[in-house]
Amino acid sequence: MITDHTLLGLATIMYLGLFFVHILYFVWQKKPLLKAVQYVLYGTVTVQTAGMLMRWALSYRLGIGHVPLSNYYESLIFFSWSISVFMICMRKRSLYPVITFITAGVSLMLMAYASLSQGVERAIQPLIPALQSNWLHIHVITCFLGYAAFAVSFICGALYFFSWGGIMPTRENLEDINYRSIIIGFSMLTSGILTGAVWAHFAWGSYWSWDPKETWSLITWIIYAVVLHLRFTGGLKGKRIAILSIVGFASVIMTYFGVNFFLAGLHSYAT
Amino acid sequence: MTATKSNKTGGEPVFRGVPVFRFLVSVRLTIITLSLIAGTSIVGSLVRQGASEEEYVSHYSERTYHFIKLLGFDDVYHSPWFYFLIVIFTINLLLCTFQRLRRLSAPRGRQVPELGALVSSGAGFITGPANKEEVVRRIGTSYKRERLSETTEIFEKGRFSRYGVIVIHASVLFILIGGLIGNISGFKAYLALRPGDEASAAQSRKPGQSAVVFGFTVKCTDFRVSFYPSGQPKEYASDIEILDEKGSVVKQGRIRVNEPFSYKGIYFYQSSYGRSNVYTFKEDGRTIELGDEEVAREAKVPFMVVRYAEDVHNFGPGVMVAYMDADEPKTVWFLSNVEKMRSHTVKGSKISLENIGGQYHTGLEVSRDPGVPIVLCGFIMMLIGLYVNFFTAYRRIYLAEDRDAVIVAGMASRNKEGFVEDMKKIGGGLA
Repeated sequence: MITDHTLLGLATIMYLGLFFVHILYFVWQKKPLLKAVQYVLYGTVTVQTAGMLMRWALSYRLGIGHVPLSNYYESLIFFSWSISVFMICMRKRSLYPVITFITAGVSLMLMAYASLSQGVERAIQPLIPALQSNWLHIHVITCFLGYAAFAVSFICGALYFFSWGGIMPTRENLEDINYRSIIIGFSMLTSGILTGAVWAHFAWGSYWSWDPKETWSLITWIIYAVVLHLRFTGGLKGKRIAILSIVGFASVIMTYFGVNFFLAGLHSYAT
Repeated sequence: MTATKSNKTGGEPVFRGVPVFRFLVSVRLTIITLSLIAGTSIVGSLVRQGASEEEYVSHYSERTYHFIKLLGFDDVYHSPWFYFLIVIFTINLLLCTFQRLRRLSAPRGRQVPELGALVSSGAGFITGPANKEEVVRRIGTSYKRERLSETTEIFEKGRFSRYGVIVIHASVLFILIGGLIGNISGFKAYLALRPGDEASAAQSRKPGQSAVVFGFTVKCTDFRVSFYPSGQPKEYASDIEILDEKGSVVKQGRIRVNEPFSYKGIYFYQSSYGRSNVYTFKEDGRTIELGDEEVAREAKVPFMVVRYAEDVHNFGPGVMVAYMDADEPKTVWFLSNVEKMRSHTVKGSKISLENIGGQYHTGLEVSRDPGVPIVLCGFIMMLIGLYVNFFTAYRRIYLAEDRDAVIVAGMASRNKEGFVEDMKKIGGGLA
């Protein structure tokens, strides 16, 4: 029987395939391979989406129906999906093979970690009462789209320090993609924090309680707010913005993973 | 701004307030304070907040604890220097916002920029006077047309886009003000009620603060919890009634997780539940029900359960009861499964343990926060501001007529490549 795990496993293999198509492109640099990259990416996202929908449907068959955005496993899958979808949405500007190569690698790692690690619970779990809210969907979706955008910003920031004739986008292009990603990421993160605050108001009786996850999301928000101010009013460009987008993403990593593993708090569903 | 202006025009020596003012309105200060707030938050997330002295001493060395206490790291979000940072940040934000408003309302956009430079940068073209009407037609009606002078016209679109930043900054101010109001006149408290229990006050969450009085009485009439087959809670809810001072019910309802209940601005949230024991005693034929460490005041000999054990030396469940005998505390064990140990004669009255039963209690978070509407208003403003600022653009196109040429050139606040493309379309075949 085809289950969500079959489809998501297939998506993982397709990400691996996508990774290798990129390597072939880097070796031969032929135009048709670039087209192939695009189509394999679309195919992979389609299969991954189908996997998540299947999981959603299965949860209803188990009588505990809910959108698959409620535990660590589901969040890892959704993170990987968000990065790919972000790349597809930005395809006009940012579908450079170097960037998609790295995002495919990141998505692959997330999927592999989600499906292989001992520490990740993969079964469909019932929703605890605190998560039974319509704010769950909008909160998780906005947060992870924000994380995905910041991941792309980080990739552009890191690539800024390398050069590879013919393959690497120009520094101007990298800066442009980086800047656009930060704008989208910042808007999404803000939406995520604000929807989370409204939800917390209804669920915990306080819109802000300095829970570690809240605190780190605020730290991340401040870092990117500073980056935007430096860029807009200080006219900061180039290397420094690249470094700051790397720092910002370190904070995103802390917000998503670090808090769950190092700091105890109210957001303990995600481990 | 006035100060700097007079300084420029008059050439007067800079008076002492100006550098401070400039610093207070600078983005540099914004970045410094924001970074310090972020740094404080990092400390706050790493060092446990609001714990007792013993907990700190067990985690850190004595010296580290003194250091933590000295800098207020045990409660950074309420430390004086964190408040100081917030105040500086607020002043900075306020001044920046006013400055921006002033700049936007100043008729600066009316000054025509160097159009030749715009044309050579690609954001414009030169065409013959005969093509003017065609250019105007191609610019379209989405732009607002206005005559600036005899020879120059301006076409503008998305002027409100420039107000996005102000809306975002104002929204942060709203959130801070709402937070301040909540901090001053709000409260957070916790209340545990068993079905049948009433309360008209709750224990404040703030350490060292006395109970919060509601001004009415809450009564828990029922509490129910259901479980998934895995044993995880599926849903829990409390039925409550609000009683006025005469004891009549004025409001009733059910509180579920994510569905609070409110009365007179006080919100009740279903936050937790627990199970506690109820001990049924009989004293000379009279039934007495007691919870843990609850004193039976109506008994002839006041007593209380000080310990419960599930199994006492393989004789089954038992409770240790304490009472006062001539100013001396005495204790005695009651075992519910052993006939001989089920009843004792204490100071002449016969007390027997009839039953040990379990009972749920509901854990309610109680809060009052008059700042919430202002904070919510700030949230909405921030989302609107972000959209307007980042996803709409202010564009203006100038049309300057000469005797033998028309110069069309403009600028955009965002997506400059897109604007250059559009200008190429407008000038297509005409330039």
